Amino acid sequence: MKLEEIRRKTDKIDRELLVLLQERMGLALRLKKFNLTVTDPEPQEDLVARAEHLNLDLIERSFTRQLLNTIIEESKRLQEEDRQLVAFQGEHGAYGEVAARRLIPAGAYIPCLEFVDVFRGVEDGHFDLGVVPVENSLEGAVTQVNDLLTTMNLQVIGEVKVTVNHCLLATEMTDYREIRLAYSHPQALAQCREFLSRNKLEPRPYYDTAGAAKMLARENPKAAAAIASALCAELYNLEIIKESIEDGPSNSTRFLLLSREPYAGDGNKTSIIFAVSHQAGSLFGVLKLFAEANINLTRIASMPLRTDPGNYSFFLDFEGSEKSEKITRVLEHVEAQTISMKYIGSYPADSTTA
Amino acid sequence: MKNLKLASGEKGDRTIVKVSNAEIGRGFVVIAGPCSVENERQVLETAHAVKDAGADMLRGGAFKPRTSPYAFQGLGLRGLKILEKARQETGLPIVSEVVDPRDVSWVAEFADVLQIGARNMQNFSLLKEVGRAGRPVLLKRGMHSTLEEWLNCAEYVLSEGNPDVILCERGIRTFEKYTRNTLDLSAVPAIKELTHLPIIIDPTHSTGRISLIGPMSLAAVAAGSDGLIIEVHHKPEEALCDAEQALTPDMFIDIMGRLKALKSFLDNQAS
Repeated sequence: MKLEEIRRKTDKIDRELLVLLQERMGLALRLKKFNLTVTDPEPQEDLVARAEHLNLDLIERSFTRQLLNTIIEESKRLQEEDRQLVAFQGEHGAYGEVAARRLIPAGAYIPCLEFVDVFRGVEDGHFDLGVVPVENSLEGAVTQVNDLLTTMNLQVIGEVKVTVNHCLLATEMTDYREIRLAYSHPQALAQCREFLSRNKLEPRPYYDTAGAAKMLARENPKAAAAIASALCAELYNLEIIKESIEDGPSNSTRFLLLSREPYAGDGNKTSIIFAVSHQAGSLFGVLKLFAEANINLTRIASMPLRTDPGNYSFFLDFEGSEKSEKITRVLEHVEAQTISMKYIGSYPADSTTA
Repeated sequence: MKNLKLASGEKGDRTIVKVSNAEIGRGFVVIAGPCSVENERQVLETAHAVKDAGADMLRGGAFKPRTSPYAFQGLGLRGLKILEKARQETGLPIVSEVVDPRDVSWVAEFADVLQIGARNMQNFSLLKEVGRAGRPVLLKRGMHSTLEEWLNCAEYVLSEGNPDVILCERGIRTFEKYTRNTLDLSAVPAIKELTHLPIIIDPTHSTGRISLIGPMSLAAVAAGSDGLIIEVHHKPEEALCDAEQALTPDMFIDIMGRLKALKSFLDNQAS
């Protein structure tokens, strides 16, 4: 092995160690939701002793002991910090985490595999809050999330629009002139097609944008880059070769902040979901109520009802708070004219024009 | 001249190269900025200074072809990112040199105009590559090159499908030692006779002397040049290269004022 190669490998291992520690700290925080501390149910001593028994000839027992105790102490310190656990779908650095950081600046951000894990986790009290994408300016509604909003009982307490700003990322040791492959989610690759072809980069589909960045940081494959958020560069210590590499005008995704409890303040935007009977003018009748009360609608979307094929549920966002008398009155009328109506929250609107 | 199928002036209209709001070939375009990108502060301060003085574009090298391999070679990618930031702050389009065919597509991601330096004028593989990069090309005249050789190099870029070539006269080697090179001002009207491509003058590298930059800039206007490319540094005494020939922002403001006066005098004469 050449000196340079040895250095590269040690560097890679250090990164992996830190990424794993980050995951471990996240688990320690989740443990708290089971009303347990890091060392419950087994005492710290047992935990350390068990690890000590691993027979690794280069790792002295005293070192193992010291290392694990340090990690456990740090986990305890984190547990006491009382950060809110905010779940998002995807790996660390996903656009969902970008949104979560914008909504809750000092949270502990917990990655989940699926959207349903975010919803269930919040509902079951494993997380304090959840962040999910509801619509994208180019792709439209995120159907899975809209479906979960109808079936699960969570309140929307905030929203944020995140501009999707794809970056070409590589490890520091990579010479940009030698990059030949770009790993990312197929959708991100498609959005950067012209950039890739201009620079003769071969697109390599990966399950997730942030997952591609994570893989790059861990494995440092030769001549490879990833397309992901700028946050990924920060989290995985990658270099941003070029920002905003998407071909078209940048698109944005609207994320909702979910909680078990409704928003405590007044809010200025309200979301409801309803279904109407199969009769001429029934949808019009509902919309008319808002028009007559002079309430501005900000979104109207329809989605097939899974439980009742051929029928649709409608998603309606409008200006104003459920706590205002005018809106309470309109909602009463809406309820009377629909088969079902579900109020999912009044919350502060994101006023930025992302 | 033979074989100038695309560059020769016989075929009708003059070429106007559009870069954002600037039109090279119509009006008079001034490109100013430091020789090389050294750090963010240097570039941003110089960029704001030249913008305030009325420059139309910002120059700055991230890749430097240096006589000595031990001299400062440029910041590379980091330099390009600084230039991008300067464009975001000032709105000035960026002119930056490319020296290696492998860098062409990357420089094109950050710069609005790709510059081919005098030393690379006949680097044909580089010319072909910039001909395919989809960005206007500023082609400097080699210090030992005839007009015909120069135009043949422009032909290389044009033949790859890139119609936007700006020629730049930057002085040729003669027996004179007082000046760094000898500015061939006659190239301006001669080029206008030979080709439809626009031509600008580099009074900095051609003279290598601060005291001569102002007079030669005025002479360029009088000769019918389509613009100038001038080195300006916010603190020339700290510059990592060409410190002895970079103008201070104050000197640049002074020259811009005199250029404007001469320009309007000539315009009035013409109308």
